[in-house]
Amino acid sequence: MTSNNSRREFIKRASALSATGAAAPWALNLAAMGEAAAQSGPKDYKALVCIFLYGGNDHGNTLVPYDETTYKTYASMRGVLATEKSRLKDTLLTGATGLTPERQYALAPELLPLMPMYNEGRMGVLLNIGPLIQPTSKTQYENRSVPLPPKLFSHNDQQSVWQASNPEGASSGWGGRMGDLFAAGNSQATFTAISVAGNAIYLSGKTQPQYQLSSNGPVSINGIGIGIGNTLYGSSAAAQAMRKFITSSPSSNNFEREYAKIIQRSIDANVSYTKAMDGAPVVETVFPPNGLAAQLKMVARMIAARNEFDAKRQVFFVSLGGFDHHDDLIGRHSGLLTQVGSAMAAFDQAMVDLKMSDQVTAFTASDFGRTLASNGDGSDHGWGSYHFITGGAIKPRTFFGTAPILGDKSPDDVGQGRMLPSMAVDQLAATLATWMGVSKTNINEIVVPNIASYTTQNLGLFRAGL
Amino acid sequence: MTLSTAMGAYLSMRGSRKTDDTGRRPDENYAREVMQLFTIGLTELNRDGTPKLVKGAEADTYDEDSVAGLARAFTGWDFNNTKTESRSSPMQPVADRHEMGIKEFLGIKIPQNTSARETLRIALDHLFNHENVGPFIGKQLIQRLVTSNPSPKYVERVTDVFNNNGSKVRGDLAAVLKAILLDPEARNTATVLADPNGGKLREPVLRFAAWSRACDTSSASGLWAIGNVSDPARFLGQSPMRSPSVFNFYRPGYLPPNTAIATAKKVAPEFQITTETSVAGYLNFMQGAITGSTDAKANYAKWLALAGDPVALAAEANLLLAANQFSLPRLKLMGETIAAMPFATNANLLDRVHVAVFLTLAAPEFLVTK
Repeated sequence: MTSNNSRREFIKRASALSATGAAAPWALNLAAMGEAAAQSGPKDYKALVCIFLYGGNDHGNTLVPYDETTYKTYASMRGVLATEKSRLKDTLLTGATGLTPERQYALAPELLPLMPMYNEGRMGVLLNIGPLIQPTSKTQYENRSVPLPPKLFSHNDQQSVWQASNPEGASSGWGGRMGDLFAAGNSQATFTAISVAGNAIYLSGKTQPQYQLSSNGPVSINGIGIGIGNTLYGSSAAAQAMRKFITSSPSSNNFEREYAKIIQRSIDANVSYTKAMDGAPVVETVFPPNGLAAQLKMVARMIAARNEFDAKRQVFFVSLGGFDHHDDLIGRHSGLLTQVGSAMAAFDQAMVDLKMSDQVTAFTASDFGRTLASNGDGSDHGWGSYHFITGGAIKPRTFFGTAPILGDKSPDDVGQGRMLPSMAVDQLAATLATWMGVSKTNINEIVVPNIASYTTQNLGLFRAGL
Repeated sequence: MTLSTAMGAYLSMRGSRKTDDTGRRPDENYAREVMQLFTIGLTELNRDGTPKLVKGAEADTYDEDSVAGLARAFTGWDFNNTKTESRSSPMQPVADRHEMGIKEFLGIKIPQNTSARETLRIALDHLFNHENVGPFIGKQLIQRLVTSNPSPKYVERVTDVFNNNGSKVRGDLAAVLKAILLDPEARNTATVLADPNGGKLREPVLRFAAWSRACDTSSASGLWAIGNVSDPARFLGQSPMRSPSVFNFYRPGYLPPNTAIATAKKVAPEFQITTETSVAGYLNFMQGAITGSTDAKANYAKWLALAGDPVALAAEANLLLAANQFSLPRLKLMGETIAAMPFATNANLLDRVHVAVFLTLAAPEFLVTK
């Protein structure tokens, strides 16, 4: 893209972004445009990777309280679901900053591969995080005296609320809105917000669509008439006709036209991708043979090829499903955590190998946490959860937020061990956006409009200077 | 459905027990999803499917207490192991696992000492009679069968038939389907075609089925062993009975971001599984499928009879697959494309048929039903 195009693209984007609503005051629009201009030219490279665990991860057996008192409450509430303490010795998180001396946590035994990341200072823990509209106490929750996130405890809606601050039907997510600001600074805007899973509202911007590719890269359409001798059922005329048919619609129907646009984007992106990857550094790190690892390897390959793509800021999305463990939690959760642990460790190693660890931050997310109380062999939908944030830029061995107090009478428990979040997804989003280099104004106006509801707008996740 | 062992296992109502002194609680899975997905949804609805506004805000249909209350009502069911066919027989109550205290949800109280079976009857009747069921189910049926964005009036007409089929019967689904398919909004072609957001995207499995029907397929093995076609990079990106969760392959409220559809504040559920990968995977898969790469083998005899006449062959594909939605220039292009292909041998003629069929399956005119 030439600089002229880039500038024009940028002005177009800035105007589109500022038109967030007809009611937005003109002054704000001007401010948003001015600030957005400053966003267009980062020189270095940074990326965010969201690892979404669909179904509502059972946080209770992901990060287990280890100190005597809390473990006792945990074990009594979990019943048959409790992880035996003797199994947690090798995954005890020691030397932690951010926890009071009497509290200790251990990773699920299946997450053993994450231990080097923690011990070497490339992994932190987000304690009791979840969607909120504003800081909320248990009394306020019970009296419904403050606004609460819509449709709590519902899978599809809370996935959407995590990713986009709004329930099903949301039109843009906070990752995508960051993408909007950075698209003009990347040579190829298409490769700004990239999903290696399916469509994710997290990555949809107001102006920049997400781009989706498979774990093996883009899929080439066969028989489309590119290259010499390329035919469809032996006919080059048919190949030409096919290309015309699929990339255009003569009708005024939006469904037809939008479908054709996706095909056009698929074809164009495939061409650009193939060109960029040709000669890009190869990822030598060994990834385990599972689906999440394959997605993360694709992300690592894109990051390795950042110079070939001439990309400066990228947001990625990968996912793993199947976490809705109402039953057989012990059997099934452990298999999924094994995948998560080995895949995240391989990705971390790949970033270290590529010397990109300080510039790439990954974090886990999920629909919601679950009940600590057992239904016999599983747990039910909850709210607050524990999540991990990884990368060389993260403050070493640190627990962020407040360790929740367990038990029915606790101010952190809104019933059956459902945690009332003490850290909001909005705060995480704003902190990550700040690290990516989004200005305060753009965070407030564009990326996380609700951040004004919080006194703490930066969770201090990152090491100074990174 | 509630007592089917498959559902019992899928949404884990099977084996759910009353609260006991170990701290064990009833499983909330089925209680929650039977309300959210199968009967009433999350938001109080008007008869026309729009949300009821209470002081300007949408109102939730249920709270956590109702989920817990209904979960108590659904306790005590398990496989019927007295039968040899225990997995195809309905689940049976196990008396001492059922909650015998008061069960309260959605404004009713089931008195104490009500049996599991009687409790279930009361609970399901109560859900069935909720005012949301007609518009909630009716609108989604319209979205699956006719259009992604029915007008409120259309939904209301269908709700009215759900509520009363004319003989004071509630929930007569045959009458509901008739009302959906014969509604003026489904039948009036001019209106549908004039609406830029009319119609719906055909989901991938239905595209495969449309080809299968139009081309008279049979199963080589007799088992229709098509296999798992879930991978969007290589197959259809959708496979019957394999949706990733109980929330189906896509959501009825999906707004496809960055499209003219979203700008118009319209939904396009099937676009949720439409990506740069899936559009390519679909084309590649169908290129092989129509030549017999799967267990479904087409009988192209009728098509071959037309293959010497490019115009007739194109017209047949347009009629049988695309409901005559191709514009004249596009139809002409298809005819010319076929005419440019040789026709000396049977293999040549078959290639012509493949081109006519595939070009149609690839085209937006087929992909969007209107």
